[in-house]
Order: sequence, then C-alpha cells, then structure tokens
Amino acid sequence: MNNPLVLVVEDDAPVRNLMITTLKTHDYRYLTARNAAEALMMAASHNPDVIFLDLGLPDMDGIEVIRRIRGWSHVPILVISARSDDADKIEALDSGADDYLTKPFSVEELLARLRVTIRRLAQMNGEGGGDRSVYTNGKLRIDYSAGVAFLDGDELKLTSMEYKLLCLLARNTGKVLTHTYITQRIWGRSWDNDIASLRVFMATLRRKIEPGGDSPKYIQTHVGIGYRMLKVD
Amino acid sequence: MEMHSEGGQHILVCVSPSPSNPKVIGAAAKMADAFHAALTAIYVKPTDYDVLPEPDKARLRANIRFAEQCGASITTIIGDDVPVQVAEYAHISGTTKIVVGRSGSTRRHFWSKPPLTEQIILNAPDLDVYIIPDSAADLKQQKESFRLPEHVRLSGREALRSALVLAGATGLGLLFTRFGFSEANIITVFILGVLLISVLTESPLYSAAGSLASVLLFNWFFIDPKFSFHTYETEYAVTFAIMLASALITGTLANRIKLSARHAAREAFRTKILLDTNQLLQQAEQADEVLRITARQIIMLLNRDVAVYPRAAEDSLGEGRVFHADQSGAARPGDAQERDIAQWVFQNRQAAGFCMEHEPGAGAQYHPICLNDSCYGVLTIRLERVPLEPFENSIVMSVLGECALALENLRNAEEKERASVLARNEQLRANLLRSISHDIRTPLTSISGNADTLLAHYRQLDAETLEQIFSDIAEDSAWLIELVENLLSISRIENGRMDLHLSLEVLDDVVEEALKHIDRNAAGHRITVRPSGELLLVDMDARLIMQVLINLINNAVKHTPPGSEISIQSRRNGGEAQVEVRDNGPGIPDAVKPQVFELFYTGRSPVADGRRGLGLGLTLCRSIVEAHGGSIALTDNAPSGCCFTISLPMREVQIDE
Repeated sequence: MNNPLVLVVEDDAPVRNLMITTLKTHDYRYLTARNAAEALMMAASHNPDVIFLDLGLPDMDGIEVIRRIRGWSHVPILVISARSDDADKIEALDSGADDYLTKPFSVEELLARLRVTIRRLAQMNGEGGGDRSVYTNGKLRIDYSAGVAFLDGDELKLTSMEYKLLCLLARNTGKVLTHTYITQRIWGRSWDNDIASLRVFMATLRRKIEPGGDSPKYIQTHVGIGYRMLKVD
Repeated sequence: MEMHSEGGQHILVCVSPSPSNPKVIGAAAKMADAFHAALTAIYVKPTDYDVLPEPDKARLRANIRFAEQCGASITTIIGDDVPVQVAEYAHISGTTKIVVGRSGSTRRHFWSKPPLTEQIILNAPDLDVYIIPDSAADLKQQKESFRLPEHVRLSGREALRSALVLAGATGLGLLFTRFGFSEANIITVFILGVLLISVLTESPLYSAAGSLASVLLFNWFFIDPKFSFHTYETEYAVTFAIMLASALITGTLANRIKLSARHAAREAFRTKILLDTNQLLQQAEQADEVLRITARQIIMLLNRDVAVYPRAAEDSLGEGRVFHADQSGAARPGDAQERDIAQWVFQNRQAAGFCMEHEPGAGAQYHPICLNDSCYGVLTIRLERVPLEPFENSIVMSVLGECALALENLRNAEEKERASVLARNEQLRANLLRSISHDIRTPLTSISGNADTLLAHYRQLDAETLEQIFSDIAEDSAWLIELVENLLSISRIENGRMDLHLSLEVLDDVVEEALKHIDRNAAGHRITVRPSGELLLVDMDARLIMQVLINLINNAVKHTPPGSEISIQSRRNGGEAQVEVRDNGPGIPDAVKPQVFELFYTGRSPVADGRRGLGLGLTLCRSIVEAHGGSIALTDNAPSGCCFTISLPMREVQIDE
C-alpha cells in the first residue's frame, strides 16, 4: 500500500496546519474536515485509510462521530483530544476508536502512531484471505488451532487465562484495548477484582513473552486505560 | 458544664392542676416578657395520673392551654419526685429562672418532707427561684392530705414479715418473763422489733402500725391482768405512751436513713452513668458515634429497645437506627408511625409519646435531642407501655442533654475546621494566581516574540540564530506544558482534599509511562530505571502519581548539571511500595531541606533558571502522595546529590482464575 490517505478532522486551524504540514513533509496524502458533518461526508465519499479525529468538534461530540463511522466502516480512527481525563479516552476506545493522543502531542509521537496504525492495516489486509489459524509477530507465534504459543520456536508454558489474554491482544494487534473491554471478554463481567486479576495475569504473561534483556516489548501498557499488542518487526 | 444560651434568659414555670396555677403562669409570662426570655411550662406528670379525679385533669388541661396561649412551650416529664425532676430539667434546658406557686403548708413535721418550693431551691441552688403566693393551694393541700400518701403501697409479703417480727418479739418477751427479766427488757425487745420492721419493709406505715401493735401486744401478754387490754396501774398509760413514741421515732428515723442510703446509692449510680457517658462522648469523633454511645448507655440504664433518628437536613430526620437491649433479639425496624411521631417531635422540639401530652397512645416515648435552638435528632425509647421510673426518667434527660452537648461540640469543631480549610485554600489560590501570571507571561513573551521575529526577518537570519530561536520556542513550550499539567492536578484539590480517581495499577508501568513525559532537555542527563521485578500493585490515581514522578525527575534534571546521573528505582518495603529518584548533583543543604516541600520555594541552585520560579512541583507531590495515604521523604545521596523517596500503601490481591 503506497501513500495512505489520512482524513484530518480538526476545528482548530493552527493544529490542523501542524498536522497537514507533518503529513505533507512525510509524503502522506491527506484530506481535511473542520467539523463532524464534513468529516462524515468525507469519510463516506473518499474512503480514507486512517482518520485523525479531534473529540471537541463544534457541531457534534467526537464520540458520536466514531459511533456513526463504525456503523459502516472499520477504518482505523486515531482520537486526538485536549481532554486529559482518562474517562474520555476510555469512552472513545470503547466506542470503536483504535488509539488516542493527548494534546499537546509531539510531531514524532503523531508519526509513530500513524506508522503503527498503517502496519496494522497492512497486516489486516494481508491476512484477509490467508491462513488465520497462525499468528506471527516478531519471535512470537500463536497456533490458534493447536492452542499453543511459541516464543523463538520454544513452546510457552501459559496458563489458560494467560493464553486467552494473549490471543485477545494478538487478534487486536495495534489497537488499544481498555481494561473493561478485556475483562468483559475474558470473564464476561468487569468487577473491581477482575481488573486486579487482569493486572496480575498481564504481569505474569509479560514476564513469559518479554523475558527481559534485548527481548522486544510486545505489550504496551496505557496507564489508567488498558493494553495494546504492538507489531514487532 | 455551662449550658445557658448566650445571653438569653430562659424561664421555667411549673404547671399543676391547682385552680390558682393560671396566676402563677401569668406572672411567669409577664416576667418572660420583661426579660425577653424564652418561656417553658413544665408539668411533672405523676405515674398514677390515670387515677386523678376528672375535675383535676380538666383543670390541668385548661392550665396547659393557658400556658400555651401565654407563649410557653410545653414540656411533660413523667415522675413522682417533682422537685428533683424540675431541677434536673432546669439544668438540662439551661433555665435561668424558675417560677413556682407556693403550695403546701409551711409547717414542717420532723417526718414530713419540706415543701416543694424549698426542695426546688435545695436541688437547684444556682437558679433564681420565684415564688408566687398561692393561697388556694393551701386549702387544696389540706384537703388532699387525707388521701393515702402516694408512696404508701401495701404488700402481703411485707405485712407477713412485720407480723413475724412482732411474733418473734412476743416470743422472746415470753421467754424473758420465764427467766424473770424486768419489763424494761421486753420493751427494748419490742422497740428492736419495730426497728427491724422499718428496715425490712418499704413503707413507713409498717413501722407505725408495728409501734402500735407492739404496745398492744405488750399490754396483752405482759401486763397484769394478762391476756386483756386492761391495766391495774395508771402509770402504765405513761409507759405505753413513751413506748409508742420511742417506737414511732425509731421506726421513722430508721426508714429515713434507709431512704437516704437508697437515694445516695441512686445518686452514685446516676453520677457514674453520667460520668461514663460524658467520657465516652468526649472520645467520639463522629455524630454517628455519639448517637450510638447515647443509645447504648440508655439501653444499659433501662434495658429497653431504643431507636435513634439523626438529623439529616435542616428540618428532616434521617433513617432511624434501632438498638436492641437484647443482643440476640430480632430487629424490629421503626415503622411509619414511629417515624411520623419522631418527625413531629423533631419539628416541635417537644417530647411526645406514651404518657405525654402528644400521642399518648403510642407504645414508645420520643425525646428530642436538643440544645438551645438546635435539635440534633430524636431518641425513641420503646417502653411497650411500661412507664419509666421517675429516677430513670431524670437520668434519661441528663444523658440526652450530654448527647446534645457532644453533638453541638462536634458541629462547632466541624464548622471551625471548615472555616480554616477554606481560609487556607483561599490563601493557596491567591498565592498561586500571583505566581502563575508571572510564570506564564515569561515563556509566552519569548514564544510570541520569537515568532514575530521569524515572521518579519526570517530571510535575514543566519542558520545558527534560527536554530537558537527554534530551540527557545521548543523549550518555552515544554515549560508551559509542564506548568499546565501541574495546574490541572492542582485544580483537582477541592476543599483542601484531593478528588482521587483510584484504580489498581502496577507501579513499574506507571514509572515507565512517566518517563515518556520527561523534558526533552533531559537528553543531557543519564537516566536509568531499575524496576523492582516484583508485581507492586497500588491503588492510585495513576495520572496524579505520574505527575509526582514527572515532577521529581524533571526537578532532578533542572537542578543538576548536564551529564549528571539520575536513577529511578522501585522496591517493596513491607506493606509499602517505594520509588526512589536519586541524583548525583550538588544536593540540597540540610538547612534548606525542611523548606523544599513548601509552596513557592525555589532552589537557589546556580543551574536553576532564575525566571522559572514556580515552586509548585514538590508541594504538589507531597499533597498527592499524602492524599494516597503515603509519604514523601528527602535524604542525601552518597557521595553527593539527593534522593526523593515516595512510599505508597500496597494492596494485596485475590486472584480469580
């Protein structure tokens, strides 16, 4: 996939300009929208590869925009918000956003997130018709049909809970999964104690797949929000 | 214990069924008017109220109505010991003056009680007592004196006991006659018998009857002619008279000693209960606790179920809490009727329920917990239609008085605390605004100035100058970003306490996340992280704790020369998780250490940039860590530099597989 098309939805001109300049200098194609109505129209008519969405739009709440786009499209949505409250991010993620960035953000960070999203997109497209019973990410390999995971060719001794967690994260590589989403999927509920248990299982799982030293980080922690499986080269 | 309302006078007037009582009430009302005082009319309702003749009841009702019309609030207390209960109530309610009608005769027999007025004066020596002449009461009192005194209750068991004592005395007398002892010995034996009777029985009537009976028995059995009431010698008439008199006096005296001993014992018990209550209440720190202690003390005293309705809002009661005398007993929650009566009592600040003016049909008694003009709740004593003894009643009133006082003290302390927090907050905000405006303007001036220069002279500037301008803009923006993050955290401090959004987090994850937000110019420093390797789970507001770590690390970067080492280490220390931020910079002199956590303190380190003065970071760090129940400490690093350690309580986790 060459030159992905990014839809920038942002009502504040200087920030919009900053994002456009950044995209332009890195050879991405882009579209801009200044409000929710424009954004929905552009998303429907131009079928962008990625959407940068500001939550504070003048005509509609950003969360609502996510819900509407999710009604017909799985296009990756990167939420950009000036609200530092975690609750807003969690709501955006649970409504279908893939990732979030808080203002003020650095240009480097924005580009890094964009690369993660595009890589995930490529993987989704590549795997679309291929063999979905095996997942590969760096040295990590999961054989879904056999129910076994391998690191560097060696079988990992995972408890059933750890294996379930790993599969959930792997199937959503590149996407930030909130605590609530994970506990709902694993335990079918989200109690305070489940979130505590999640912390513990995640820690033991990480110790097994990231044994330290030079081993790459597969799972990224988003404090107060959730976890994300990263695509490792 | 000073309970008088500030400056306000409180006049108490006694209500009785006496026909001249309206005169007394009228006088009290005039006095209240003259002193601008509050007027309370008190009626001490005897336990045998039901047997009072109907005309008396009608007069009483009329008198109470009259008192109401005179603007008095009506209080009814159950009891038979009028002076003690009036004095008790006067103490509790903060009364300054008592108005009573002069009732009863002024004559005093050595065995009769002093008149009501004198007893009130005796019981309440520190109050002004006004006596209104009441001639009609004398007449009435004399007429009533033919009634059997109220406290005389006869029981078959005591009569039998008296008869046995007398039989014993007679038997001993007969034995003495057989041995030829003189009659004087026999008389002594009978007087001893009367003494025994007065000790063994409740009522003085037995010893009086015993005195008479012993004279008759002496005459019948021991005086010739025996077995008749006749005497041969007239001098025996004198003997009988003296014997009767000495038996009567002995009996009365013994009875009185017994009564006063019982009175003393009760007084001691009462003092003990009140003292205990007072001590327990003083230790209580919450209104809930005060009410619970009060209920428990009253249960200890009365052994009856008690329900407490605390004040919820200005004029409504909260949920009732029921306390059971019998711990194993099934809880009977307060029903709607109990609630309604409690609400009425709360609004009228007047007792109601069984034996009272209002709601006499209820099975329980409802007492307001009042002091001065404030009512703190209602206490319900579930009497199940068995009235309290007057003595119990007066202790209940005292305990409730103590309870109200304790609640008022708590409220006063709370208000004081609130005021001081408010003042402190105001001070903090004022200082904050002053320094913020300075600290925001400076970097903004630099950014906007540089931007203007770029717009106007971009082409004339050489590459080196341009780079300098760009890096200045980047640096100033970074400073503003940090400032805004801290301000956001500070805005979470409301009313002196922090509004925490707690969630369970892994400490090392938070450290890692915090490092992503460290200043760009930290690149000149070597920052190393040594995680504990253990799973340190802490209930925390992750955003705020991150802010603490960011501040500590940025602080280390800011106050140490480039090339310095900064190491961050987490570890478990007993039940606490700790993070250390250690640097090998110039360190902080001992003299300055206590001040670094103070608001707006800024280090005088040569590296520190003079214009960036906002010493907000460390104060904020301390507030945040302390709000989490943790602590922050500053120590020296060897060989140089300093070390900030934050300790946070850990949570043990139960795992669901």
